[in-house]
Formats: sequence, structure tokens, C-alpha cells
Amino acid sequence: MSFAADLRAVLADDQVLDHPLDLHVYAKDAGVTPGIVAAVVFPESSEQVAAAVKIAAKHEVPIVARGAGTGLSGGAVPTRPGLIVALTRLNQIEEVDEAARTAWVGPGVINLDLSAHTMPLGLHYAPDPSSQSACTIGGNVGTNAGGPHCLAEGTTVSHILALELITAEGEIVMLGGAEPDPLGLDLVGVVVGSEGTMGLVTRILVKLTENPPEVRTLLLAFDSIEAAAAAVSAVIAAGVVPAAMELMDQPMIEAVENFKSCGFPITAAVLIAEVAGHPAAVDSEAAVVAQAGRDAGATEIRIAATEIERDLIWLGRKSAFGAVAYAAPDYYLHDTVVPRTRLVETMSAIYEIGARHGIQMLNVFHAGDGNLHPLVAFDAKEPGMLERVKAAADEMVRVSIGVGGALSGEHGVGLEKRDLMGEVFSPMDLDAQARLREAFDPKGLLNPDKILPEGSRCYDFGLVANLEPDSLK
Amino acid sequence: MTARAIEDWQVTAPEGAASEVLALAPPDLDSVARVLEWASLEGRPVIPWGGGTHMGPPTGAPPEILLLTSELNRVVDYQPDDLTLVVEAGALVTDVEALLAERRQSAVLAEHAAGSTIGGMIASGVSGYRRLRYGPTRERILEVTVATGDGRVITAGGRVVKNVTGYDIPRLMSGSQGALGVIGQVCLKLWPVPEASASLSMEVAAFRSLYRPLALLETERGATAYLAGTAEEVAGQAQAVGAEARAGLDWPEPLTQSTQIELRVPAPLVAAAVEQVRAADAESFRAQHRVGVVAAGFAEWSDDRLAALRSWAEGQGGAAVVAAASKQDVDRWGAPPASVELQRRVKEAFDPRRILVPGRLPGGV
Amino acid sequence: MPWETSHAPRQHELDACVTCGLCLPKCPTFRLTGSESASPRGRLAAMSAVASDIAIVDSRFDEIMSFCLQCRACEPVCPSVVPFGRAMEGARAETAAQLPHRARKLRALLLGPNGLGSRAAVRVATLLAAVGQRLRLDKLPVRLMTRISGLRRIPLAPQSHLGVLRSSVGERIGSIGLLAGCVQDSWFGGVNDAAVELLARAGYDVHVPTGQTCCGALAAHDGAVAGAESLAAINAAAFSEYDLVVATAAGCSAHLAGYSEWTQSGAAVEDRARDITVVIADAIAAGRLPTLPPRNQEVAIQDPCHLRHAQRIINEPRAIVRAAGYVPVEIDPDGMCCGAAGIYVLTNPETSDELGNKKADQVRASGATLVASANPGCEMQLRTNLGTAYEVKHPIEIYADALRSSYRAAGA
Repeated sequence: MSFAADLRAVLADDQVLDHPLDLHVYAKDAGVTPGIVAAVVFPESSEQVAAAVKIAAKHEVPIVARGAGTGLSGGAVPTRPGLIVALTRLNQIEEVDEAARTAWVGPGVINLDLSAHTMPLGLHYAPDPSSQSACTIGGNVGTNAGGPHCLAEGTTVSHILALELITAEGEIVMLGGAEPDPLGLDLVGVVVGSEGTMGLVTRILVKLTENPPEVRTLLLAFDSIEAAAAAVSAVIAAGVVPAAMELMDQPMIEAVENFKSCGFPITAAVLIAEVAGHPAAVDSEAAVVAQAGRDAGATEIRIAATEIERDLIWLGRKSAFGAVAYAAPDYYLHDTVVPRTRLVETMSAIYEIGARHGIQMLNVFHAGDGNLHPLVAFDAKEPGMLERVKAAADEMVRVSIGVGGALSGEHGVGLEKRDLMGEVFSPMDLDAQARLREAFDPKGLLNPDKILPEGSRCYDFGLVANLEPDSLK
Repeated sequence: MTARAIEDWQVTAPEGAASEVLALAPPDLDSVARVLEWASLEGRPVIPWGGGTHMGPPTGAPPEILLLTSELNRVVDYQPDDLTLVVEAGALVTDVEALLAERRQSAVLAEHAAGSTIGGMIASGVSGYRRLRYGPTRERILEVTVATGDGRVITAGGRVVKNVTGYDIPRLMSGSQGALGVIGQVCLKLWPVPEASASLSMEVAAFRSLYRPLALLETERGATAYLAGTAEEVAGQAQAVGAEARAGLDWPEPLTQSTQIELRVPAPLVAAAVEQVRAADAESFRAQHRVGVVAAGFAEWSDDRLAALRSWAEGQGGAAVVAAASKQDVDRWGAPPASVELQRRVKEAFDPRRILVPGRLPGGV
Repeated sequence: MPWETSHAPRQHELDACVTCGLCLPKCPTFRLTGSESASPRGRLAAMSAVASDIAIVDSRFDEIMSFCLQCRACEPVCPSVVPFGRAMEGARAETAAQLPHRARKLRALLLGPNGLGSRAAVRVATLLAAVGQRLRLDKLPVRLMTRISGLRRIPLAPQSHLGVLRSSVGERIGSIGLLAGCVQDSWFGGVNDAAVELLARAGYDVHVPTGQTCCGALAAHDGAVAGAESLAAINAAAFSEYDLVVATAAGCSAHLAGYSEWTQSGAAVEDRARDITVVIADAIAAGRLPTLPPRNQEVAIQDPCHLRHAQRIINEPRAIVRAAGYVPVEIDPDGMCCGAAGIYVLTNPETSDELGNKKADQVRASGATLVASANPGCEMQLRTNLGTAYEVKHPIEIYADALRSSYRAAGA
């Protein structure tokens, strides 16, 4: 039987798409590179996911899991004719355990919906990527998604206790558990952030976080990025780890104001800081932040007095990508991380690269953890523009890696940053990652061509297998 | 491996190890890798050894070679402003924390760590009581350099606090029991130490009114909440619950019994787990409320007691782990995890000849 | 050229999409199916595929486009401000032109100048519906019939506001041409009663010109281009003289706001078009209509998509209900479509029912038994799904009723 016929034998008609138009619709996520799709399935149970995986394995068709398709690095795009397993129908919030502060959810549950659901219990799901109104928990697990509030709370992996995994062979396996330190190797930590290359996640036990009793949100204006970055370092040096510390540069502030009018001062840099916690602590912590700002030469310091003012500040921050979309037809977004102390020099280098390539650049980033998001706004229809943007992009990434940084902090490596992995890791390091992947997916059918560059698995490194005992003596 | 190298690196077997093993303390991680490569070729079982403080009862094949990390003990790079520390695995936890304390920072490792090494704590999967606030140790391993079972030296992760560049091998090393490789060097994420802290004796029932405590412990002598934060916050919280606050953190002494069993259960079941260990005649116990760990010490070994506690814990979706036993040949872990086949494959990805502590992981992996 | 009509999706409309996906969770059909092909981003991708000759307008393209409710909930959340509703009408125009099957031709007839645009035709339909109500035909297990249960009680004698002229009470603010609406005029006369009365009290000279016809929204949504164009031309001429053109159905006011697409003189109508809720809320805010004493009763607010999403009119219905003395109650933070969606209720009955049930559940959860809805299609859908224990009215009717009873009380 044909691939699609096999799929239809186990799934209902409305659970399989293979019309060329649908395949075209599914060829892209929120990244820039399109892929090739063989079929799309919409399983409604773990068993159906397992059945679809088995059929794909039988036909040797690559398998790509997809949530809302809001990923920015091409993680949900098949590079060769592949089966897209859309997990959007596994969208049940199955059970919320108030005492344990946990919830079992399907991968298709939308991030913000979960927090809205648990709000009456005074709990929320902490990772808050900018796309949280649309992205799914399953997709967050795939990329180990972050967000502004990950500074204090940690990224997705810190909030996942257990996973139900459909393996490359189509077996259903439970990883982790509700108890602390589940027995054996921490395979949950391996699967989170693996972008669907280790298996497909069908149920997720997430940790819920107590809503802070008090929050203070500050907006600090500076006349240079350097001054703002100095304030960030001073806050940390003072022993305070705020819930979030976000920095925006002037082009970004202007774009946001143009888009949403949040009342941000038009200045070289705006730092948004939020401290959250016990009522007796937030004011003194806010004072530490304000003092650090003053010492660094802040030209204006606002502390949101009402919920509306706080929401307006966050609206400005969270509208950043929308503002760029509003201003330019195309954008390319980076996600490197550098040590916090290297922020200023990295930013200057990035500005220099932008100027040299003549590209328009806007910056908004998670300054607290050194996660940069230089955003290049451009028009792909302009001849030669895409090449210039990509050349500048590569340079920016190399600068970040040069100061000891990482390729991606929260968006994932996917397709777009895959070929830069060799800049960070040695061939031996990549081989180790490839072996780990092989342990989960011996036939290489789970989201192939993602994360690791071609040829990462190097059999030359199997030294032990190649050498005879005597040759070492 | 040359006989000369073996001679140069050989040391007396540390206390707690079988005296017949070949104990080696290579000078650097490349040398560690050479030993592992040789052991792989020869098919000799190896046990990595840090401080020997959290080895647990012997499990799996008896080792022929014991690899000490005592020569790998340098602080490589401490960046207080980045809240990161790069340190070699053989460094003592107490030394490292003393260094960090000078800048009022901490790696939030176990509170009682006399003689323990950084690498040993990570490989044993040990977390401190403060995990309630800061999360378990595995949350803070940003980068590792490891010598794998077949003698490759690999690095994964990065020296930044947020990173999805490649698979999270650093986290995988936590609790790996030395079965994947010998940890040579790690980068740890640090936390600032809050300005004030206090210990509050109180009833377990009153724990719930506290916001973000460091730890909520119960022992055979009563319950204590540990708080940290700004001075106003600590004083305010103490006042609100009406408990007398002792400045500083007076952690309970570690268990000393020759038989120790650790129950790991979903957090709401800690009170029930405490009842279980009391009923099993525990001399002493350390219960971590809202975390789910209850460690108990017993005067003597009893197979029946382990079976009863294990049957209860596993019935609750948890586990009963033997941390120390006065008897040989005990089943340290109990029922293996559902993912045991994947666990075996992952081990072999790092240690294809299965020479590193074979059978030490749950399920005989 | 892959496209055949002048209304086809335009390249700049399609290029505006940056494929971020923020529209997906707001789309009712994506929420129901989890399918990208049933999402705004997916539909734009399908249109782009045709525009760039990767795909053609075939039956699957038709299915994908026809499944859209045209609720435009995707528009307010779109950072790139893609004019999705406009592009979708263009896609519908193309499927109608390139795949002209019989049902579609029949619909074009019913929705055009000789159907909804014809007073005689509407009168016949009204009579049939009135008779049907009296014969309890809505109890028959026939789909079209059960829809009758969503109608208000229709008098056997035909009713219409066409030709009504009412002078302003007190200080004159300006003139208003009232679009009576094809269905609104015959079946929801109470709304237009309230509109005429309140507008006059608010200082407007109100005229319901006889030269008007159906606004053409339903024809445009269905791709019946010729019908939509000729209806728009008739109305543009009929409403050329007033300071404001006011519609009492959200679907009509939203369509008037895009009239330049449909007729050359449409821009003049666009600029002066207002939904009745905006004019009344403004008059209340300015003190030209009174704020009535509180009566401590809750009213569930249902936002018609063409008010909330297409025109971003959110506060006005609430302000009117509040001025009537009631407490407005929110039922849905997202304002998701009730599933009526014009003729969608007939073309995609299952999806329509699913959404209608969800909306009814939201109303029930609110505890209120009076619902304010500013669009006749939504009103029918709510009544069908809620049953007789609930009352559904236009917000201006709720306000007008309260105003009348306060005058009666004062008179007594």
C-alpha cells in the first residue's frame, strides 16, 4: 500500500492531508526556509502518534513533529519529503494537581492558555516566550523555549518533570516522573530541546509556579547601551536576580512606539526590569535596581504604579517583533548568548557589522542572561539583500562565539544555525552528540538534518573499535 | 597504556574501595581518557572516584580499575559578574564554596559536603536542601568536559547561563553514576547569597503560609523552615507565622546510620512518607517538604523493611533508594524505569564496551 | 494569470504576511481542527501558492477558502496588518468565477439584487417564515427549518422602516441616512425602531431612504461579485446626501466601511459609515442621551465579529448596556465567532453548530439570561443554541427599552 493509504488505514479521513496544496501550506514554519512535505497527520491519541511513526518508519519517511509552527529556526520544516505529525489536537489540559503544583498537558496546549487555566489557583506556567499567545507547550519542549522571565525561573527544561515519548520505533515510553530525581539517566533533559530528533512527545507533566504576591516593574532610560548594560551588571553584582531584565535600543524603541504607543521614552536604550516576590522584599529590590540605574547614569526611572502601567511596559516589550513585522516586509532574528560581562563589546561589534553591510538593525534582548536578539529588518525583494543579511548574520554569530558565547539561547538550532555548530564544537564533540542522537534514532528518521551539521557522526572516532589491544602498548 | 604510566599514576586505593583494585590518579583528563581507552580494549571494569562520599552500596560488576580525579582540582575560571564558575571535577565542594562565599555567591551544592568533590556530587546526582528554592544541582551545570568510556574527550554545553546549542549532555551527566564517562571539568551557574537568612522552628502545617522558602525540613526532632532574602522579607515572614527566628541556617546534621534509605515521592506525599519511615522504626530522618525526598537512617539492616518501604514508594509512583547498607548485595534501586532500554542505548553511545561501572545504573544498565 | 477577477487577492496583501503564526490561536477553525490549512496563515499561503503558479484554483483551494468564517479575528492580532478579510473576499471571488457550480450560482442569485436585494423576494421569504413559525415547522428535523427557531416572532403583515423620516428632538446635530438592512428590516424591526427613536433623541434628523437595498455583504463574502457590486452602487447613490450613514447590523456597517472595493463612489460612503452602537455610545458620552439609574441586573455581552474584529468596536456596546442601567458581563476574552457567520450556518452546518454550542455554553456559564448582540445573524445563532429561557436583544434595544420604561415611570 502507498504511504498515504497506510496512514488512512489507521487514521480517519480528516486526520490525513496529502493534497499538494496542503503540503505546500505545511512547507514552512515562522522561519525563512521552506521544506518538502509528503503528508500531514493529526493524531488524537498517543497510540495514533505511535501508529503513524511506525508507518513512516516502514516507508522510511522522515518524521517531523509540529505544534503551532511559530519556531524561528526551521525546526518544524522537513528537508526531504517527510511526514508532519501535527500535535495540535493533543490539546487537553488533563489534570492540574494544586497540591503538587503540576499539570499533565498535551503537547498541543497553547502556552498562555495553560497559565490562564491555572490563574484561579494562583499558579502559572513560568516560561513565557514572546509568541506565548500562539506557541504550544510541545513546541516549547522541542526548542527548550525561554522568555523574559527565564532569568530567575529557568527555561522550559526546568519546568518539565515527565514526558511520554513516542520512540523512533513507535514505542510509547514514559520518561521522568512526578517524584524528585527519577531513577536512571535524566532522559527528560535530553529530549527537552532536541527539536523532535529524539522522539515525539505526546504528554507532558509540567511544573506550575506560584504567582508572586508582589511585582515591581521598572523602566529605566539611558543615553547609551553601555550605560544600560553597566546597570544590568551592577544589579547582579548587588546580589539581586530580578525576575526579568530586558533591554531595547533606540531603533527598536522607535519601532515599538510607532506600532503600539506604549509611552516609552525615545532614547538610546531602555531597560525593563521586574522584581517579583514577597511584599517586604520587592520595594528594597526595586530600590537596588533604581540605584544601579542612577549610578550608571539613567536619565529617567519609572516604577509602574498600577497594573495598567505594568501591562503597558510589557506590551511594549512583547510587541517588539510585531513592530518589526509592521515596519519591514522581512526580518531575520538572531538568538546568540554571550557572557553578561561581554555584552557591551559584543553589541558594539554587532552595530559595526550592521553598519558595514548597510543593513537596518534593531535590538531587543534578555540582558539579564546575555541572550541577544539582533533583528535585521529588510526587504527580500531588494536584489542581493538576502545575501548581505546572511553574511552579516554569520559575522554576528561568529562575534558572539568569539567571546565565549552560544549559537542559540532559546529558539533552537534547527536548520538555520545548524551549519554554524562547527564554530562552537570540535568534530569529536559533534560526534558525541550524533552518537547520543543515534541511541534514540538509529535509522535517522526523526527530524533529520536538524541541529547537527551533515557528517557529524564520524566513525573515525570509534578508536576502540578500530584498534587492536597491542597497538597501544 | 604503558606500564610506566600505570606506575606513575598508581596510588593506594582510597578508604571504602576494595583493596585489590588498581587505583590510578592521572594528572589530566587526557590521561584519564587514555586509561579508559586501554580499559575498553582490555575489557576491564572501571569505577570513577571523587571523594568517595556518595558511592552507595556496591552495585554491578566489581571494578578492576579505580580512577581518581584528585589531580584535577583547579579552579579554571571564576567570573563573579557573570555568575559562572569553571572548575575541575576533583576540586572539593567545600573549597569551592569557600571561594565563592568571598563574593557572597554560591553554587548551591549540598550543605554537608566534607570530602566530596564537584564531579562526584554531579555524577551521584546529589542536590542540597536549598533545591526547593534554586532547583536541583542539574539545573546549574552549564558545560561539561568528559572523558567517555572509550577514551574520547568531549565538551558540551557552554559557559553561558542560557543555551540550546546542541543536546543537553551537561544535564545528562547529573546522576549518571559515572556510567557515561569521567567528568573532568564543569561550568556551574552561580547564585548570589541573599543578605539575610534565618531558621524557624515551627509546625509542618504552618509551612504552607511561607513564600519561597529555601527549604522546609522535618526531622525526628521537629520541623524547621529556612528563609533567605532581604532583611525585611525574612523578618516579615518570620513575624507573620509567629515563629522565633534564629539568624543563619542551622542545617540538620547528616545521617550517620550504616543503613540509609531514601524515599523519593511526589511532593504532596512527604507527610505520608514520614509516617512510613517512622513506622519502619527509623532512628533518624530528613524529610524535604514540597520536594519529595525523605532520607531515613536505621539501626540495622532488614530486607523486609526495604521491601515494605519500596513497595509503598513504588506504589505512589516513586522509589526507595538504598543510600547505605551494612550488608552486601543489596538491590540499590528497585524497579527499573520504563525507559531502561533507551537508558542502555544512551550508555553505550558514551561507553560502547560497557566498562564504566557496568550494572550500576538502575535496571542493571 | 492565475487570477481572473479584479477583486483577486493582491500581491501586496499576501506579501504582508511574515508567517509569524500569531493569528492561529485566534482563528476558530484552526482551534477546532488544529490544521494549518484551516488557519489564516495557511489560507494566505494557499493564496500565495496560486498567485505564484505553484497551485491552481481547484476544489481543494475552494474547500480551504470556504471553510473560513470570515470573522476576521486574525486581523487585530496581526503585527503586519494583513487585510485578511479583504484578501479572503478576493479568494472567494476567484473560486466563484473559476469554479461556478450550481449551488454557488443559486446562492449568487439569492444573495444578489434579485434575492436579498429585492423587497418582493424578501417579502415572500418573510411570509414563508412567518407561516412556518405558526405551523411549528421549526420542530421538524430539517436543517433550514430548525434555523427558524432562531428568528424573532415574525408578524404576518409585512413590516418595514423604508421611507421613515424622523426629525431631531432638541438641538440638531446632523442628518443620518439609516441602512435598514435586508433581513434586519423585515425580521428584526425592533432594532430599527430603537435606532430611529434614539437617533432622533440624540439630535439627528433620521431618514430611511426608500432607494436603498441590501448592503451586499453576504454576496461579497460568498464571492458573488456582480451582485455585491450592483448592490453597493445602488446604496452609494441612495446615501449620498447624509452627514452619516448608519447601519444597525454589525455585518452591514463593517461592509459599508469597505465600500470602495465594490463601487466607484464607495469611498464617500466609507468615510461616513458608522455602526449604530458607535453613534449611540457617543451620544450617551456627550450627554445627549441620558445615563439611566442602575438596576443591578447582568447582561451577557456577545461581540459580533464584524464589530469587534473587523471594526475594533469593543467598548461601545458595553457602554450602552451600562448606560441602560445593567451590568455588562464578559463571556469570552477572545470574542470568538459564534459560528453564524452569514450564510456559513447553512454552508458549513457542523462547524457552525460546534461554535454555536460553545458560545451558548459561555453565555450559560455567565449566569446572565439576557444577552446583548449587535448583529442579526449572531442573534439567531444564540437563540437557536440557547433555547427559550434566554432573551437576546441588540444593545440599543436594551437601552431603548430601559429609556421607555424610565419615561413611563416618570409619567406615572
